[in-house]
Amino acid sequence: MSENLDSFTNLMQRALNGDNRAYSELLQKTAQLLRPYLAKRLLFANDVDDVLQEILLSVHKARHTYDGGRPYLPWLYAIARFRLSDYLREHYADDLKHASDIADWENLLPETVTETAFSYESIRAEVEKLPAKQAIILQLMHEQGHTAKEVASLIGMNESAVKVAAHRAYKVLKTKLMP
Amino acid sequence: MKNLDHLIAQLAQDNAPRAAASHPLLIASTWLGYALAYCLIGLWVSGTRPDLAARLHNVEFVAEIVVLLTLVLASSISAALLAFPDAYQKPRWTLWPLALLAVFVVLLVLAYAADNPPAPQPLHSWQCTMAIVMVAIIPGGWTLWAMRRFAVIRRGMAGSVAVLFAFSVSALWLRLQEVNDSISHVIYWHYLPMLIFASVGWWLGKRVLRW
Repeated sequence: MSENLDSFTNLMQRALNGDNRAYSELLQKTAQLLRPYLAKRLLFANDVDDVLQEILLSVHKARHTYDGGRPYLPWLYAIARFRLSDYLREHYADDLKHASDIADWENLLPETVTETAFSYESIRAEVEKLPAKQAIILQLMHEQGHTAKEVASLIGMNESAVKVAAHRAYKVLKTKLMP
Repeated sequence: MKNLDHLIAQLAQDNAPRAAASHPLLIASTWLGYALAYCLIGLWVSGTRPDLAARLHNVEFVAEIVVLLTLVLASSISAALLAFPDAYQKPRWTLWPLALLAVFVVLLVLAYAADNPPAPQPLHSWQCTMAIVMVAIIPGGWTLWAMRRFAVIRRGMAGSVAVLFAFSVSALWLRLQEVNDSISHVIYWHYLPMLIFASVGWWLGKRVLRW
């Protein structure tokens, strides 16, 4: 291992003096060394190749900051970590930029994803016993088929207040209808 | 894989002999030399405070100047180390400015407590901050430009340290130039803005020190 590390330092020193073969060998060894490091941290082989290329370009740009007087690997890994985190940051920022708000999908989704055990008609009597506001909300949502957003604008409440009121009403109905 | 081999071949072909960067301590001493020369030229142009000789017998004033000078030294070394991707494998040295800032804050608190009855406030206020900013522009811009020739990976911290370095030089110049004994004025209009601008340097570094 120590011989291997010496060879990195030696190759880099020769590369800085303009030895292109030593430089090519150094870059190949560097790529071999970093591939498993990146593969552990990235899911796809394409990403590993992309980041590896970024790192090699950075090593090339920054090679004058290595003078051969100190170990090569901490210098290399500092650059590798920097490029990896840069890549991940950009990747996730890009994902977030293209992510759509769940609220945009709400109206496209089916209103019920499971069969309900009751029709509105069968529980109308219980609904009418609820506080007036909760009863109106359930009537508008389940009898007339409005969404929470539409109910909110119809009765002048905000959408989350409508959802909270509906949730409370469901809890009351659940205890009454499913003892 | 083919792409990678192609890239390696291309980089090897582009490899021309390149002189390694100087040791960070040498870089820092160059920056320090320029900064102190700039400060001295500033003092030569604007003149030193007329009571400087008398003030140099005051322990608090001398301690303040010494700590400011040490802060200039520490931030120049830290900036030079941060210009290297691995901080020249001396990461702890990059934290010196923080330690110096802590000492500086303690010193200012002690001076503030000892300022009883308080020295009269000067008639001006924000003009001092403006003067510090104007004087710091050249060393700050120059240091950031010089750091761009290296490979900074902790860009925010490097930007902060570079700005702190420039503002320390500027604050030192103003302290030796302005006749003013009010420690509260010095804290509010000299040193607090210095710290605020150093934190703006974090944002600046992230943008300017990309490579």
